[in-house]
Amino acid sequence: MNSRSKSYRLISIILVGLAAYFIFPFYWLTIGTTKSVSQLFQRSLLPGVPNHLVENVTRVFSYQNGVFLNWMGNSLLYATVGAFTGVLIASLAGYAFRRYDFFGKRFLFMLILAFAMVPAFATVLPLFMLFRDLNILDTRIAILLPSFVNVFGVYMMVAYWNQIPDEVFDAAQIDGANELLIYWKIGLPNILPGAITLFLLAFVGAWNNFFLPLVVLNSRARMPLILGITTITDPQGFPVYNLTLTASFFTILPLLIIFISLQRYFKPQMYVR
Amino acid sequence: MTWIKKLKTSLKAYLFLAPFLAVFSAMVIYPIGSGVQLSMYGQRGARMWYIGWENYQRILSDSLFWNSFKVPLFLLLVQVPLMLILAVIISFMFETRKNGGALYRFIYYLPYTIPGIVSGLVWSYIFSDSMSPLRPILDAIGYGSLLTRENVPGILLVMILWQFTGYTAFIMYSSLIAIPREYAEAAQLDGAAHWQIALRIKLPLLKDPLITLFIFNAIGAMQIFNEPWMLRDLVVLPTNYTPTMYIYNSAFAQGRFTYAAAMGIILAVLTCLVSLYVLRTASKLILDRHS
Repeated sequence: MNSRSKSYRLISIILVGLAAYFIFPFYWLTIGTTKSVSQLFQRSLLPGVPNHLVENVTRVFSYQNGVFLNWMGNSLLYATVGAFTGVLIASLAGYAFRRYDFFGKRFLFMLILAFAMVPAFATVLPLFMLFRDLNILDTRIAILLPSFVNVFGVYMMVAYWNQIPDEVFDAAQIDGANELLIYWKIGLPNILPGAITLFLLAFVGAWNNFFLPLVVLNSRARMPLILGITTITDPQGFPVYNLTLTASFFTILPLLIIFISLQRYFKPQMYVR
Repeated sequence: MTWIKKLKTSLKAYLFLAPFLAVFSAMVIYPIGSGVQLSMYGQRGARMWYIGWENYQRILSDSLFWNSFKVPLFLLLVQVPLMLILAVIISFMFETRKNGGALYRFIYYLPYTIPGIVSGLVWSYIFSDSMSPLRPILDAIGYGSLLTRENVPGILLVMILWQFTGYTAFIMYSSLIAIPREYAEAAQLDGAAHWQIALRIKLPLLKDPLITLFIFNAIGAMQIFNEPWMLRDLVVLPTNYTPTMYIYNSAFAQGRFTYAAAMGIILAVLTCLVSLYVLRTASKLILDRHS
């Protein structure tokens, strides 16, 4: 065996080993959904025998009169409405940056970018006070409103709009279409792939947003999955590991399905996590 | 009269910008402004009074606040460099495969799609005394509990590397394949070995994405919350384990809102300072493309 194919093999071994590290928690979570608590305590790496999957799923969905379904609905609402509105608003703003040379353009862009880096931890606290004054603490609006701001979306939208040549807009203008029509009929179809990517990223971001709901929500009925699953306990307040694992599985399942089926829209790009 | 024309276009532009400016000012600018204002107040229960910069002075000498940076600092000095090095090595390994190891890239990227809360939860169970599949091995070598406070930084390291290394390697790989083929071919003709090409020619060309990734990860390290938050269920952590945990606990466990607001502002300023470099490049990239 020559040294070239030896090193090829060595790299294969390392790649497979790393793949095991990246896969293992998924595997462990999946087999965890098939176990009772006492089976979890046996620390086996095989699915539970007898299999408790059906029982766990039933218990998760019937937990506290079906609050889990509420959580799913809430997550879906927060992620869909938040991501859609945020991307729509960002595309309008991006269009303005692409099409017009207006007063304060550079300043505004720098301002938006500068605030893109402000951490949620600095704004959530004052937002909490604001929502308290507005009497909308512990409502769904309090989760939705902040998600309408998609600063990264504006940034990316400007880049997407920049890819459309001037001629496209000019031709439409000569035809006498008004600006909103140009945006809607000519612009949007052109940036749709980018908009879909942004929607998916925003959807995942909203689905995974833990800190804001943690701060502004109290009622379990309004919680998203990501917060709800951390509150699962038995009536005495002790953790129920198998239920939490099963619920976690259903929290990430939609993400995995979206990611795997819409892979081509998730081109890795740099953005703040 | 060009400025009248510009005024007209400005009007149009601001109509398109209006929805964004509305939510942006209400949900970002106003909260920051009121956060700054809040941070200037003393507070006891519902009573508040103006105290100027006193909160900031107290924070400067609050060892609980500065100690909370130990974990971010550990991540910055150990996890981030380790991850970037691993990601570069992995991206070079991708390059040796057919198709750039599409299946490997897919698998390595998967953890990135998982929220920090769930990853924190699953890993903390995997490391727990009662459920850890590692326990039989640890028992055999006589190692005690894995989930101790001393081990938490190491556990965070395993968790965060798990979540972000594949994603980072994916980005490095995208940068690698963007390098013109002629560079490597020319070096090959000169008799350079594979590893020499990787080290001498390709690595220096990865500098820019590496710097940007380093900055984003530095910000991420400074703001870490979800993962240690989930570990708290199985191991006792102090309220100031990370800066963001300290801010959260000061506000919502101890009711010190104004003090927490001041810490939030400090964290925001630190974040902005760190990200200045990215900001400058980003605005240049986008705005100077046309106009």
